[in-house]
Amino acid sequence: MNDHQSVTIVMIEDDEGHARLIEKNIRRAGILNDIKHFTDGTTALDYLFNHKEGPALNGPALILLDLNLPDMSGTDILARIKAEGSPVKRTPVVVLTTTDDKVEIQRCYDLGCNVYITKPVNYENFAQAIRQLGLFLSVIQVPEIEGDA
Amino acid sequence: MLPPPALRADATQGQIGRFLITCMAVGFLSLIAAGIAAVWANGQIEEHSGWVAHSYQVEVAIADARIRIEQAETARRGYLLTADPVYEGNYRAAMAGLGPSLDHIATLTADNSREGMRIARLRAILGALQHQRDATIALIHGARRDLALAAFERESGGQRLNAIRETFDAMRADERGLLRQRDAKLQSSTATFYLILVIAGVLLVFVAVASLLTVLRYTRDLGASRDRLGELNETLEDQVTERTADLSRANEEIQRFAYIVSHDLRSPLVNVMGFTAELEAATSAVAELIDRAEETAPAIVTEEARDAARTDLPEAIGFIRTSTQKMDRLINAILKLSREGRRVLSPEPVDLAAMFEGVGASLQHQIDEYGVTFSIAQPMPPLVTDRVAIEQILSNLVENAIKYRHPDRTSNITARARREGPRVIIEIEDNGRGIAASDHSRIFDLFRRSGNQDQPGEGIGLAHVRALAYRLGGIIDVESELGRGATFRLTLPPSLSDTQDA
Repeated sequence: MNDHQSVTIVMIEDDEGHARLIEKNIRRAGILNDIKHFTDGTTALDYLFNHKEGPALNGPALILLDLNLPDMSGTDILARIKAEGSPVKRTPVVVLTTTDDKVEIQRCYDLGCNVYITKPVNYENFAQAIRQLGLFLSVIQVPEIEGDA
Repeated sequence: MLPPPALRADATQGQIGRFLITCMAVGFLSLIAAGIAAVWANGQIEEHSGWVAHSYQVEVAIADARIRIEQAETARRGYLLTADPVYEGNYRAAMAGLGPSLDHIATLTADNSREGMRIARLRAILGALQHQRDATIALIHGARRDLALAAFERESGGQRLNAIRETFDAMRADERGLLRQRDAKLQSSTATFYLILVIAGVLLVFVAVASLLTVLRYTRDLGASRDRLGELNETLEDQVTERTADLSRANEEIQRFAYIVSHDLRSPLVNVMGFTAELEAATSAVAELIDRAEETAPAIVTEEARDAARTDLPEAIGFIRTSTQKMDRLINAILKLSREGRRVLSPEPVDLAAMFEGVGASLQHQIDEYGVTFSIAQPMPPLVTDRVAIEQILSNLVENAIKYRHPDRTSNITARARREGPRVIIEIEDNGRGIAASDHSRIFDLFRRSGNQDQPGEGIGLAHVRALAYRLGGIIDVESELGRGATFRLTLPPSLSDTQDA
């Protein structure tokens, strides 16, 4: 049960402000896991699939994914992660985006996203959503620990 | 692209019409001229024939007189020779006929003074001749035949007869001369007649050819126009499809634009709101610190720091908050509109009266609170349209009618619907505060409102209503006067599938 075995949170979010707010609220929710932050899809995918500390080669992870990225669409990244034969297929993906469009949400679930959270402008709701995500994180941590044990 | 040729066609049509009318007028004028010429020529010929007949009559009369004179002479000579009373009778008869015969010539030639003079001379000669003849005959009566014969031998009767013959010849020649003159006149008038006829004919032919050419050209133009029209007609469907495709592409573009804009605007707004909240949290921490510092070490707390922590910062944060909240509502409105445009409509039969009742029921709380009378005029015509969209429209309009009631009177709202030709017209009438005429079109614009801004709202409802009405293939308008209530009129096709293709 070393540090590197705990769930790494991979946050793919191009907006620094959003990233900061998400991180703050995760920390406030009492989650102390490592957070890896990427501002574009290419480096994020490279980390996910190829980095020696990335989830493909090492340990469990949770992906926080924004759908609007500068270099590629978030849904493309989601499709790559959840594709048949992907090493990170089982890694849970939380889509966090400003879109509350039903079609978009459905598409994300179809592609295999585990949770879809809309970033509300109302900050209290946002903080609450992130805190709930924290609960979700603590839940998924359990099997990993058991698996390792 | 289309109007200029149409205008040109109109202009040429007018020109051609005028030209044809001119041609016809010229044609008719030449026909009339030809007719007049014919009548005139006919008169000339008739007159001429009259004169010819007259000339012959004169000649016949002259010949008659001459014969009588000769007969009288012959009879007298016979009597002289034979003293047979038959000859005397003949002579008397011939001489008796001579007077009226000469009178006849005089009447016929009354217009000719020369002939009159000749006749007078003839009468004189004949008078002398008769006197002589009567004398010889009287001698024979008296059985003085020898004396009579002697007198006969002496007399200058032969010369007298010659003079008579010459006079008659001159008269006849005169008549012949007159006839020739009249012939010449007739010929010249006939020539004039033919000239007029030829001119009229040429004019007629010219006008006919010009008219024919014009009509031919016009017909050809008409044919060309018809062909072009047919062509346009044939390609109309394609054009409509093309235009519709263009339109829906443009529409999609706008919706995508609205979507992207609202979405991308939202992203920085999340930051503004988020960090404002963070700031607020930080401010309360700072305010707490100031409070504690005031308690423990009042000296270190400056007036500025206290004001900043207690009033300035919360005030600034409050403004940021309300502004961002408003901005969020506006962005959401745009998003909602853009999404409404993309929603697939599903037409189904709608019971308008029941729908109004449902709307009334959902607003029952407000109706009771403000003592509103909401009446639904029955019956309502059947309507096939998208249920969700029409419900949103109706509920929005009824809600507005309640919201903008007149503060000084009991609110009455009436919902009506009727079929009018190929349209269904739904009216919602209220006796509320009304809308100034200058604002009638403005109120349907997004984020625009009218009148006293004493009610909450962003100016979205009616914009939404109009967008929905357009989507249902209808229109919405308002009839209102400030302070006198308003009637919103929704005009829809009776069946949505009639008009909806795309």
